[in-house]
Parts: sequence; structure tokens; C-alpha cells
Amino acid sequence: MLQFPAFMTQYPTSTRIIPTSLLLPSQWPNPQSDELLLAIEEAELEQKYNDIRKISSNIIVIGKTTAENDKEDFDDEADDDDADNAEESEGDEFEQETKTYLMERWQPRRGRGRGRGSYSSSSHTQQSNVSNYPSTRKPTLNHISSDNNEKHDNNDPDNLPNLTGSCPYMCPVDERTRRERLRDLAIFERLNGNPTQSSSNLAVKKFCRTISTKDVRDLDLRPILVLEDTLNHLLNIFGSKSQPFEVIHDFIFDRTRSIRQDLSMQGIITGDQAIGIYEKIVKFHIISHHKLHRNIVNSDLGSNISPMHHLNMEQLTKTLSSLYHLYDQTWKPNPEFYSFYVLLHLGSDHQPTGESLSLWLQKLPSSVMKSKEMMFSRRLLRYSRFGNFKKFLQTVDSEASCLQYYILEPFICEVRAFGLLCLNHGGYKLNPYPLVDICKHLFMEEFDVESFCKDCGLETYTSEDGTKFMPTKQTSFCSPKGSRKYYPMVSKRLKILYDEVPEII
Amino acid sequence: MASYMSMGEAHRRITEYLNRLVDVISYQDGASLKQLLSLSSESPSFLALADALNVFQDANRLIKQADKYSQYAEIVAPLFRAMQSYRVGHLVESYQAFEKSANAFIQEFRNWESAWALEALYVVAYEIRILAEKADRELASNGKTPEKLKAAGSFLMKVFGVLAGKGPKRVGALYVTCQLFKVYFKLGTVHLCRSVIRSIETARIFDFEEFPVRDKVTYMYYTGRLEVLNENFPAADHKLSYALKHCDPQSEANIRMILKYLVPVKLSMGILPKKSLLEKYNLLEYSDIVLAMKRGDLRLLRHALEEHEDRFLRSGVYLVLEKLELQVYQRLVKKIYIIQKQRDPSRAHQIKLEMIVKALKWLEMEMDLDEVECIMSILIYKNLVKGYFAHKSKVAVLSKQDPFPKLNGKPINA
Repeated sequence: MLQFPAFMTQYPTSTRIIPTSLLLPSQWPNPQSDELLLAIEEAELEQKYNDIRKISSNIIVIGKTTAENDKEDFDDEADDDDADNAEESEGDEFEQETKTYLMERWQPRRGRGRGRGSYSSSSHTQQSNVSNYPSTRKPTLNHISSDNNEKHDNNDPDNLPNLTGSCPYMCPVDERTRRERLRDLAIFERLNGNPTQSSSNLAVKKFCRTISTKDVRDLDLRPILVLEDTLNHLLNIFGSKSQPFEVIHDFIFDRTRSIRQDLSMQGIITGDQAIGIYEKIVKFHIISHHKLHRNIVNSDLGSNISPMHHLNMEQLTKTLSSLYHLYDQTWKPNPEFYSFYVLLHLGSDHQPTGESLSLWLQKLPSSVMKSKEMMFSRRLLRYSRFGNFKKFLQTVDSEASCLQYYILEPFICEVRAFGLLCLNHGGYKLNPYPLVDICKHLFMEEFDVESFCKDCGLETYTSEDGTKFMPTKQTSFCSPKGSRKYYPMVSKRLKILYDEVPEII
Repeated sequence: MASYMSMGEAHRRITEYLNRLVDVISYQDGASLKQLLSLSSESPSFLALADALNVFQDANRLIKQADKYSQYAEIVAPLFRAMQSYRVGHLVESYQAFEKSANAFIQEFRNWESAWALEALYVVAYEIRILAEKADRELASNGKTPEKLKAAGSFLMKVFGVLAGKGPKRVGALYVTCQLFKVYFKLGTVHLCRSVIRSIETARIFDFEEFPVRDKVTYMYYTGRLEVLNENFPAADHKLSYALKHCDPQSEANIRMILKYLVPVKLSMGILPKKSLLEKYNLLEYSDIVLAMKRGDLRLLRHALEEHEDRFLRSGVYLVLEKLELQVYQRLVKKIYIIQKQRDPSRAHQIKLEMIVKALKWLEMEMDLDEVECIMSILIYKNLVKGYFAHKSKVAVLSKQDPFPKLNGKPINA
């Protein structure tokens, strides 16, 4: 049975778990490219690490080090305040400690300097269900958790490197020459298409999984100005259409991850420039999220979810997490970026961070909670949990920004399906429902409604005068997840938005 | 004040403490031992001892003087330092020293066969947490990163490990677990509760019933709260109700804390608390919500959520309460039905959608017929209303039998 609205904080048993078979190249639809294979291997490797780690959390995995890509995710530190209301107790009583901790969040910061933010979101999440306390953890692709467990074990806050990058190029010279020699150049890095020749204008530093803090030199790291330029270069490529989208995405995905790695290795956790970089990377992930989803939908894959899509989602949540840490240091967070987080939690099978949304909301500053963008996403959340499909779609139509729409678009299918489910279930048998009215409710064209009904196992018919109807009380309803067809939202406003400049970040 | 103490006096106090400590350990007097370790209690004797230490300045010499003292040097020397630092307000140093002392204490504790020193261990666990909290406050106020509470968490995990064995000491594990919960909740890293919960609930050495009631109540309170965060209402209800049932009826503050989370859970299952309960335990933030549910007053519900938004968000129950809207709608429709029944019983079961629109308008909520139909279809699907809606005539037709099924203690499911 379709579960909408979702009890969205149901932890995974219901998380989508990708069987490893899906990661096998044989099921990959597109011609293999090196980047794709690498992505697949990375995912498989992560899974192996997860499995190993589960056996014993004390095992230090060879090849993985403290200076992980997740350097950018910081330890959760509670910002403490005065123990105004704490009831100190001995023995019997439990204290209202949470009240004191949480009270802090609702007061203006008092010049806390470099106190760290306290997001426990993707930095530490696990995928197991808190309430079921299963004795074995299921393997997941969410390597955020494993990395940070790792980080906890090996990382001593005193050992965080404070390197200052001095590499003036987008790619350190040594790496470039090495990769030229090994013919390990992405298509965008090749000078005149030559697979053994690059240049300082084309080569971009790769993301390095197995790097150890000891081995990193200053001239391997790029300072923030260089990172900004690198990012701009990448985004130009993103906006071009020189290659199939998956190829472009894969390249940018890896290289932006490297940018984030450089940032976190230099301990850059404040500043408008860093914020700007993270915000752009978030936007990249969101647009990719949208396009990758569309590509799945338009292909003949059926309901296989692309691992690329999943990995992208992971990095999206990680980047958001880092961004929130950065916002914590400033007084001017951008509320739209918080709204993305809420929207990611729509849907019964979306648990991108594994953390209860209620927990996350506890920590938000009041100014963000009451912002227009957050109110929008909170309202959508409310409608989705209620099941109010009509109001949900109406609100999306009238208020969603382009990026917000991209995030919630995959969820719209579920919303519409629920709408059909309710109308079919509760409608009077002798009053078949006019498709024209369904169009209004679901923001779809009539021919799309016809098709969608079919996807949901529901029949429609045409009357003598040409009007189309959906009979009610049909017993054949089924979830349309299998087909995953994409039906656009009939919305003038949205159309303008995403026709405009959807790809420029 | 410290300077008013003479060296002789200081010497006397310190030796007195050392003698007491040695005696208490050799007699395995756990109750007395715990009093000797309870730094943050700031009892007069502690304060005096700390003053004495600051005057005497060379307590280590005293400790080394006699074998009976020096055997506990690793515990006592850092403990003294912790007291001294605490007395002069250097809380970070105090924590660091205390942690050293506590480590040494744990080593000794391991060697003591019986569980006589369990109470003292509890005190050590408690003090570690409290001192860490104070230390973190000091760090934060100096613009540094607070990290001691996290360290305390690691220490407590170690302690847990020491207790997780087959011997009589294992009944102490739940107390330590609860201290860990408090640490994790304070740090916001509640997912870390998972592993220790798993140990308690699945390890064969632990029998939940063996633990002291006090610890069981605290444990159920925190795990209940985790269930609320995850919106597992049946489990949350079970745990929080357990805590409520076994909680000391005198400790009103604790009952209030349990109820703070139990009330929203019960509301989700259609069970409303009496006003007297809310008043007795000062939970008046829920009173408008309860009223709204009784009256079917959507406007009041929205207003109540808005008014106490900060508080509900902070405790993590906001989303739970928002969802009560479904039940409020059900109540509203039921009210209309009841009124119609009074006027014309034969036609009561047919409710014009227009009527619902009017009722909502009266509640200052603008909704068109389409949306009302949509909502009715949802209520029907979720079995809050039995019946169907006729699209053509814009009427909702209710079942003549039990048109508004009760939730019967179960949360609403799609």
C-alpha cells in the first residue's frame, strides 16, 4: 500500500537499500566510461568498508586515514550556555538538561568566537533503526556514517592539520604530470583531445580517497582563491553540453568533492568565500539530482535507481551539512538552503540523512525557522504528512523556487498517486470522476492523467459526448513506482522558472 | 578565606581525609566512600579540604609519607588537584585532573571483587559528567571549542565496559547508561545512544528486571523520548508509560518531564488528558491543543501551535502535534453531523460539502469545495470517517453505523 503521507521518521528498514548486484557494470545502461567504473568501484569499496567496520568498530581499515573526505564534516560540539535551568540531581532524578542545551539555540549568539556548530546530521548518521535496535546493521550506501565513525576513532581534535595551501593551479603539477603519464585524464582535461596531454588550464585535481594527513604537502592543497576559480571553471563545463550528462556530472562530482576535501584539510570553516563555494556545490548537486532523476525516468530502466543518483544524494546532504556548519559561524545564513534539507525528507522512502527531522529542527535558529523559505518547506511537510495532495501541489505551483522544485519533483509522483488513491477509494460508485477535475487537482494535462491512471492500475473511459472519466471504487489500484514516468506539473509559473536558466549556478 | 587556615590546620584536614579514605576502602564501606568523592556537592567539608590543599600546597609529600596512603596515590593525587582547581574556579583543569583520578579509580574498582563500591562508582560517573559540563562552559566562554563533555562520554563508555560482565557489578550498567544518555542528549548526538541501548537490550548478561527501579525509570524515559523523535508511537507510549507508572509519585518535576512527551504521544492516539492533569503538572502549553481537539477547532489548533512553536520545536514534539490536524478535522465533521442529527435525524448522514466550507469560514479558514472534497477523501481513506463523497452533488454521505470510528489507542495509519 502506498504510504503517503509518510511517517517520515521511520528509520530504515524502509530505507532503500541497493543490492550490490545493482552496482555491477552489467546493469549499467550507458557505455562504460572510466569515470563511471570508478564511481561504481568507489561505491563497492565503501560497502566493503562498511561491512568490515561492522564486524569490529575497533578495526582500523587499511588505506583509510584520518584525513578523509569527510574532513569537512565536523565533530558535533554542543554550544553550551549557562546552566540556568539545570536541576542538579543525585541518584533518583533525571535532569532537564536538554532544556538548557536547547535554550541556547533560541538566544542570540554571544560572541562565541570559534565555537563549532552542533549539527549531528550527516556527520554521524547511521542507517539502523533506533527503535528496533537490530543486532545487525544492514549494509548501506550511506558511507557518511562509516567515515565519521572512523573519524571518531582516529581523529583527535588536536591533530587536525592546519595546512595552508599554496598550489596556484587547479591541479598540483605533480599530479598532472603523473596522470598525463598514466593516461588518466578525463575528457575535459585533455589538450586537443590528446589523452596524454593536459595543461594547467585544463587539469583539475582529483578527489583522493586514501590520503593521509602526514603525506599532504602545502603545495598539494589549493588556497581558497584558487578553489573559487577552479569551481568556476567546473561550472562552465557543467553548463556546456559537450558530452552526455552523466559524463559531465561524474567529472564535476569528483572534482567538486576534491574542492571540498581541500577546504576541510585546510580547516577552512568560516568565511563568505567558503560559504559561496559550498552553496554553489549544493546547487550543482541539486541540478544533477534533477537531471539524473529525469534520465532514469526517461530511460527504459524501470525502477532501478541509478547508483549515481544515490551517491549524488549522499554528497548533497554532506555538503549541506558542511554548509550549515559554516552558517553557524555567521549571522546571516541563507534560509533557502535550510529549506532544501526539509524537502529532502519528504516521502516515505527518503531518509537521506538517517536523522530524525525533529531532532534537526530543534537546533535551528528562530530566524531561519520563520523565514519564508522554511515556512514554505514546513508547510509542504505538513501537507505531505497530512496527505493533503491538493494543497501540496497548489503550494508547489505557487511558491516553489526552481531549486526547491528540483528537489521535490521526484516526490510529486507519490503525491499524485495518493490523490488518485483517495479519490478512487472514497468516491461514490455512481459518480465516475471526470478527468478534467483530476487535472485540476493534480496539475496534469488530461492525456497525462489518462496515462497516470493506467500506471496506477486504474481504468478510464470516454463517454458518448467525449468526456473522459475515471470510475471510482476500482479495486485494482497499485503503486505506480514501477513505471516512474515523468509527468510535468502544469504550472505556468514553474515553467517560466525552469525554462529560464536552470543550469547556470 | 583560605589564608585564614593555618598550616597545622591544613595538615590536619588533609591527613584526616586520607585516613578516612584508607579506612573506608579497607572496610569496604561504599556509602562513605561515595561521599569522599563527591566534588561538586560543594559540601562545607569539601570546601574546607580544598582550602586546606591550597594552603598546604604539597599534599603529594603527605601522600607519599605512608604506604597506606601511597597505595592510592594515583587516585588521590589527581583528585586533590581536581579539588584545588575546582575551588579556585579553574574548571577545565579540575575536569582533567578528575578524569585522571577517575581512571585510576576504575582500575582499582576492577580489582575489587564484590560490588561494594558501586555507589561510589556512580558518584564518579556523575561527577565526570557534571565537571565536564562546567569545563565546557568555561571553554566556550573563552572562545574555545567545548570538548570535555564528549571526552566524558568516552570515559563513561569505558566504565560501561567495566561493568558489562557476569559478576554482581553488572547491575550498575544501567546507571552508567543513563549518564551516557544525558551526555548524548546534551550534546545532541542522540544517535550514539544506539550502541549502548543495543548492549542493554540484547546482551544476555543483562536482565532488565534486575536493575534498580530508579535506573529503569530513567532509562525508559530517555528511550521513550527517542521513540518520540522517531514517531514510533506504540513504543513511545509503552516506554513513557512505564516510566510514569514506576516513577516516584513525589518527584513532580520528573513526572512533568515524562508527561511532556507522553501527552503528545497519547494525543496522537486519540487519548486526551484531563485539564486537571495539565494544571497539576504545569503543562498548560497543551491545554489549547486539547481544547481544539475536543471542539474540532482548527483555528485554535493552529494558533496554539504557533504560540508555543519554539517550545514544541525545542522538545521535538512539534511535528507530532501538527499531525493532530487530522483528528481535529474529524471532530469538526462530527460536530456538524451531530448538529444535523438534532435538526433532522433522517438526513443527518448526508453532509453537504458546502456546509463544511461554511464551518471553516466561520473558523476564519478559507477553503474551496474542491479542497474540502480532497480532505474528505483523505479522512475517508484513513478511516477517520466512514462513508463516501459524491462528486457530482458535492455531498459527503456517512455510514449509518459508526461513521466516526475511534482510534482505539492506535495511531492513524495510511
